Amino acid sequence: MSEEQAYEPKIVAFLCKWCSSAGSDLAGVSRIQYPANATPITVPCSGSISPLYILSAFNKGADGVLLSGCHIGDCHYIEGNYLARRKIYLIKELLEMVGVEPDRLRMSWVSAAEGAKYAQVVKDFVADLKPLGPQDKLKADRT
Amino acid sequence: MIDVQSIRDAARDLLTRGEVRAVIGYRRGSRGMLAEPVTITDPEQADELVWDATCFHNLALYLVEDRKALAHAQRTPTLPIAIIAKGCDARAIVVLMQEHYFKRDEVYIIGVSCEGGGVLVEYKLARLLNGAQALSAVFDGDELVVTTAAGEVRLPASEVMADRCLECREPFPKEHNVAFGEDKTGRQLAAPFTALGRFEALSAVDRWAFWRRQFERCIRCFACRSVCPMCYCDECVVDSITFPVAPDTTAEEKANRIRWIERSAVRSENITYHMTRAMHLAGRCIDCGECERVCPVNIPLRLLNNKMELEARERFGYEPGASIGGPSLVASFRDDDPGQFIR
Repeated sequence: MSEEQAYEPKIVAFLCKWCSSAGSDLAGVSRIQYPANATPITVPCSGSISPLYILSAFNKGADGVLLSGCHIGDCHYIEGNYLARRKIYLIKELLEMVGVEPDRLRMSWVSAAEGAKYAQVVKDFVADLKPLGPQDKLKADRT
Repeated sequence: MIDVQSIRDAARDLLTRGEVRAVIGYRRGSRGMLAEPVTITDPEQADELVWDATCFHNLALYLVEDRKALAHAQRTPTLPIAIIAKGCDARAIVVLMQEHYFKRDEVYIIGVSCEGGGVLVEYKLARLLNGAQALSAVFDGDELVVTTAAGEVRLPASEVMADRCLECREPFPKEHNVAFGEDKTGRQLAAPFTALGRFEALSAVDRWAFWRRQFERCIRCFACRSVCPMCYCDECVVDSITFPVAPDTTAEEKANRIRWIERSAVRSENITYHMTRAMHLAGRCIDCGECERVCPVNIPLRLLNNKMELEARERFGYEPGASIGGPSLVASFRDDDPGQFIR
């Protein structure tokens, strides 16, 4: 390769199946252009996202982790996103304490009707991740 | 100061009257002044029990071990088990009961107040004794009385006490069946989260440099997990060796089990292990400091757990080990939980 490729951050996106996952679908069928950096993983609820999912994603080489669920009050399971908010707050604090850039973990509320918002969230996240460069603090060295 | 004879009498009476099936306590270890955990079932053994500044161990761990042994033997005992508990141990027992690990009437808590003391740290004591061998160490008011071959030495308690004891606000076991010693709840020999505050003042770059060095040293002996009364899971997510293998488990299942992280003792895996543990202990860790004490390479693990405790207290008004019936930290929420970080 003669030309060095520009750095593209890898994002693992955990999306709630009741809202954000459908929101990302809507962004697609509406033909909204947004960066292809995010790999979506559908989960049953934002409240089902274990902190271990996030740490394991970083461990396996993610540069950023995006979590997205239903707006407060709209959870299919009534309270899942309230519980997620608490857990994610704690893991964010812990990452910051260890010295990992807290910007590498992002959470958003995206409903099934907000395709445009999902595209914007990914666009912003990629733009914020690029200056941080590759994540090598939690990444496993498998060489 | 608590008369150790009163603890022995209480244990003997409980066993003689057949009110409990065993008493978990401390006895003199085989190495110098240190106490070691013991389970006694015979009233005669009650005189072995000791209570001094070397009773480091969080005995709640042995309630968990007892529970596991009973489950393994498929026995349901009719009598409760008695346990000698300091303030922190009693909080650990409360958390275990809050999580329905056992019921309140299945355990008889003999509470002992640390009063103005706590437990000592061996290296701090050794430094002050200039190489002299301590034979016994007991707190008396705000002094530590140490006996050496050369005679008695009185040292200021604050110079030999463990950091977590200095920061402790609840040296008295609130949850108890019977308690010895003065209730000094609210005493504070040092501001809480002193070490954490000092650490958090560092820049992100320095914090990472610190943890990077610490986690490169971790040898993954899992002593922190073994000693923790809250780490009672039969199968640990970070340690695939505990994957339950039944006769009908196929080779494919064994090969394809989820490995969130690897078991190798390298920095990236160590840091994921310790952060996962800190998250699993959020709202459950009662700051007994045992993980830090047993760490063979002296990683300051209390910092991680203290951080979670601090956030729980300041943002969510949650105090671990405060009530048996209350909700747990991560299974409850409030409308005004912080959410500014969410886009």
